[in-house]
Amino acid sequence: MSLVKRPDAKAEWFLPGILAGLWFTLKKMLWNLFNQQKMQTLNYPEQKYEYGPRFKGNHVLTVKKDGSIRCTACMLCATNCPAQCIKITAAENPDPSVEKYPIAYEIDVLRCVFCGFCEEACPVDAIRMGPEWQTAALNGSKFTYDIQQLAYRPQLKGGVLSVLDDQERHQAGI
Amino acid sequence: MPKLKINGKDVEVPQGSTIIQAFKASGVEICHYCWHPGLSVAGVCRLCMVQIEGIPKLQIACNTEVKEGMVVNNTAQGVQETVKWGLDFHLINHPLDCPICDQAGECGLQDQYMQFGQYDPQMAEHKVKKHKVIDLGPTVVLDSERCILCSRCVRFMDEVSKTHELGIFNRGDRSEIGTVEGKPLANNYSLNTVDICPVGALTSKDFRFRQRVWYLKEADSICPGCSTGCNVKVSYNEEGLWRIKPRENKEVNGYWMCDVGRDSYKFVNLKGRLLGGRVGRRGSWQDVDVVDAARSAGLKLRETVEKFGPDSVALVLTGQFTNEEYKDLLGFFVSNLKSKNVFHWLNNPDKVNEFDGLLFRGDRNPNTKGLVGAMIAAGVSGKWESLQSGLAGKKIKLVLVAGPENQAVFPDLEEKVKFLGQAESLVWMTSGTSTVLDQVMAETWQIPLKTYIEKAGSFTTYQGKVQSFKLGTTIVAQALNLSEVAELLAGRDLNWNLRPGGVGGVKVNYSTAQRGAL
Amino acid sequence: MGQTRLLTEHYDKPEFQKLDGYKKHGGYAVLPKALGMDPKAITEQVKASGLRGRGGAGFPTGTKWSFLPANGEPRYLLCNADEGEPGTFKDRLMMERAPHQLIEGMIISAFAIASKKSYIYVRGEYDYSKAVLRTALDEAYQAGYLGKNILGSGFDHDMDVYSGAGAYICGEETGMISSLEGLKGQPKLKPPFPAVKGYLRKPTIVNNVETLAAVKYIIRDGGAAYRKYGTEKSPGTKLFSVSGSVVKPGNIEVPLGMPLKDIIFDLCGGLKPGRKLKAVIPGGSSAPVLTADEAMKAAMDYECLAQMGSMLGSGAIIVIDDSHSMVDLLQVTLHFYHHESCGQCTPCREGTGWISKILHDIVAGHAETKDIDLVKKISEQMMGKTICALSDAAAMPAISFVTKFRSEFEQHIQAAKSASGGLHHA
Repeated sequence: MSLVKRPDAKAEWFLPGILAGLWFTLKKMLWNLFNQQKMQTLNYPEQKYEYGPRFKGNHVLTVKKDGSIRCTACMLCATNCPAQCIKITAAENPDPSVEKYPIAYEIDVLRCVFCGFCEEACPVDAIRMGPEWQTAALNGSKFTYDIQQLAYRPQLKGGVLSVLDDQERHQAGI
Repeated sequence: MPKLKINGKDVEVPQGSTIIQAFKASGVEICHYCWHPGLSVAGVCRLCMVQIEGIPKLQIACNTEVKEGMVVNNTAQGVQETVKWGLDFHLINHPLDCPICDQAGECGLQDQYMQFGQYDPQMAEHKVKKHKVIDLGPTVVLDSERCILCSRCVRFMDEVSKTHELGIFNRGDRSEIGTVEGKPLANNYSLNTVDICPVGALTSKDFRFRQRVWYLKEADSICPGCSTGCNVKVSYNEEGLWRIKPRENKEVNGYWMCDVGRDSYKFVNLKGRLLGGRVGRRGSWQDVDVVDAARSAGLKLRETVEKFGPDSVALVLTGQFTNEEYKDLLGFFVSNLKSKNVFHWLNNPDKVNEFDGLLFRGDRNPNTKGLVGAMIAAGVSGKWESLQSGLAGKKIKLVLVAGPENQAVFPDLEEKVKFLGQAESLVWMTSGTSTVLDQVMAETWQIPLKTYIEKAGSFTTYQGKVQSFKLGTTIVAQALNLSEVAELLAGRDLNWNLRPGGVGGVKVNYSTAQRGAL
Repeated sequence: MGQTRLLTEHYDKPEFQKLDGYKKHGGYAVLPKALGMDPKAITEQVKASGLRGRGGAGFPTGTKWSFLPANGEPRYLLCNADEGEPGTFKDRLMMERAPHQLIEGMIISAFAIASKKSYIYVRGEYDYSKAVLRTALDEAYQAGYLGKNILGSGFDHDMDVYSGAGAYICGEETGMISSLEGLKGQPKLKPPFPAVKGYLRKPTIVNNVETLAAVKYIIRDGGAAYRKYGTEKSPGTKLFSVSGSVVKPGNIEVPLGMPLKDIIFDLCGGLKPGRKLKAVIPGGSSAPVLTADEAMKAAMDYECLAQMGSMLGSGAIIVIDDSHSMVDLLQVTLHFYHHESCGQCTPCREGTGWISKILHDIVAGHAETKDIDLVKKISEQMMGKTICALSDAAAMPAISFVTKFRSEFEQHIQAAKSASGGLHHA
């Protein structure tokens, strides 16, 4: 059988095709009208999509029990980041049990591709990809987040606690 | 010259070599921590175990002398298992400090662990806790938990610097490196212990936490700190230079360098550098393009020579530039302008012959001998008195100065600037800015120069040994080296294709920098 | 069958400690004879007698003396009176009861090896021994047995007592040499061996107290006479220190080759009433343990015990009965080695600490059965890899205990786990 179907005169009529397309759209619209709960489209901002717990949104820098930043400025996240958007400056902490901490931690969020590699690379659970994603601003320079915004923004309610505690680890002898 | 077989390969070594030296000579890998070619043998890490045919027990390679016909193997299953357990013993009490330890990326334990397969440790007991962040002296910080007690630092203090400041206190797995009360680790070679420490137990206060080593590249160069000319490697990246470490050269510096030389990266970085040409007088400067500045200075220079003769201009040189630069500049000045007024600015003539017994010399210029040689070759030997009389008598109208790049070792900088500023015109070529030039009355041109790491060339050591080095990196792209300045002063043009672009000195994310209001 | 009192013949007489009493019982009678001999002949007699080092290693003494190079360098003789091996207290007996016996033996040995200076390195805890030895040395100097031109023979010799300060590792020959040199008592790499480069990098001979004292009797009676005692490969008599669960603990002197069961049940009065023999450690805590069955078949000489997988060592026999826990015993032993490791080389420094901690966990009830295999594996890896033998000395008891008494270890772990609730602390 030939693969090429020679159109007969009727097939060159485009009107049935147009009508079929319109009928498809109408069918969908009527279905949506009578099944609004099952509609694919969300009426944002009245309806918002509930993302799963592993959703990769804005970064969160966790804190220790005493409120200080968990990050030890090891720079593994900055090294692993494919977009090279993390910039860290390390400094000596006067407390010898802490020893190293970041005095400057900046993420250029407009460069970030939200891949989550920084979260995977971190050895001390200092950075996580949080659930927030609705952060608009009017100026591009506002998209360089520093420690204040990453760890202590109001939405985090004082800071997210890290699961890896050095004090517990030292007491356990490791 | 006994011959031996290492893993089936034939190797020949000098008489009296140990097996580990044979391994190093033939390039076969062997794990070791306590052995160092510049120090005595300690044999305490027990990792360089090898199987020697005919001897049932494994032997350490660092203390066994090579005999003719030895058959040595370190890839057999038994040896590999022993070395893996040797690594295990090192790791069981080692703290989990990799995120905060500076040695990450150049750490022997890390490399060996990755090589042996990243296995799970079987140690489930409490690790031994020791003191951390101990201030040993003005330059070095100790972390006793990370220390694997290889005793390299103790042996260095006993054998190389001979100052005996370090010792091992306590016994067993409570042992710790330490200094005695009242005698901190304060000598001119203390930072070599940071280099030889295979783990992050000894860290340099200067470099501590500033950068991760995998972000750095290394360039070979020669230290410009004094006339010894230690071979060094400079660690740098786009943001600038971060540290200097010694390179091995058995004739010049062995395996070491002094602490003073390690500061030689600071005057190269962007802060404090002259970024472009400047013209002006008495503190009011006009920033001009460096090529324009050099061209206008050259114009003034040639005009002065035409009007008042070759004796109305003077060239003052410091011993901080390469042999090639001296040849080109003197070639222009002496052969082209026919002037004999070339003077050698020596910064500390009374200390020139000082020597501390190991590496550091009193002559703080890397190429004094090269300069003296170049001046002799050009047939000039200006006496400082004639410069003084020439300036006082207003006979010398324009002074061309190749100023120091390492301003810290020129305590007479201010005095000389005032002295040389007596002339009508002053062309000051240097790599760093200096506020002293603001006081000069003469019409001054400031021309930025490249530092030692930004050019290829050669220095001549105090012994007369010529050591060449290649270009490492460029911090200030605008700067020129003296050969290029000589071209411009002569009125010729530069070959723009041969000039390297700069790195800017700042790690710039261009889209962020250009983003402002969208 | 009683003891063979060759060295210990007059130890029951308090006057033997002083010079007059010693001379009354034949003291300093062999010295003039030895000084009249050719030094090489003395070494030949010692070789012919087959005397082996009595400190633990059992190396033939005559052979050790012949390793000295003939290069004209001054030679030293060091007497190892550190006696650190747990269970050993025989040298103390000699130093306290018969110091002059040791001194005479040392002068003869020094003459044989042409040494002008010798030291007796006594462990720091032996205050009384040190005092007795110092008094005896004064007496010997006054009587002309030490100093210049001893007994008109032209041989000069000086002897001194040097005190340790509480480190087991200073009983290792190069550890002792380091300590004498004023350094930290850490063993040195071998090669070079002490006979070639020892104290102050000069040829040095290190011998045990008993070995040097025995030299006197070999010269007195002749090398062949010494061979009348003991076995062919292990000639002579030996002092054994018997301790533990016997009725009459103490030092005994018997010919080598005597069956162990005779020592325990005849000479030492058997086990305490109501107890059964469980295990015997034949040569100090470093020697692998023998089960009761093996102990009944063992003969106390170097060969038999080596064949059984143990060693004669220093001759400290520790008798263990069924009321003692092998787990507790191993824990105490490993704690000792952990404490005494000098810390130079990594397998010993870290390994002794590791197995000691595992044993603490086993005793406290925080361990699993697999930890027994871990102890064995770690100990096997510690052996043969270090500068000195302390690592082997810690590993051998560990391996022998967990192999021969494994069921006791397993029972202990199970019982302690159910008692403590089975929590394994990290």
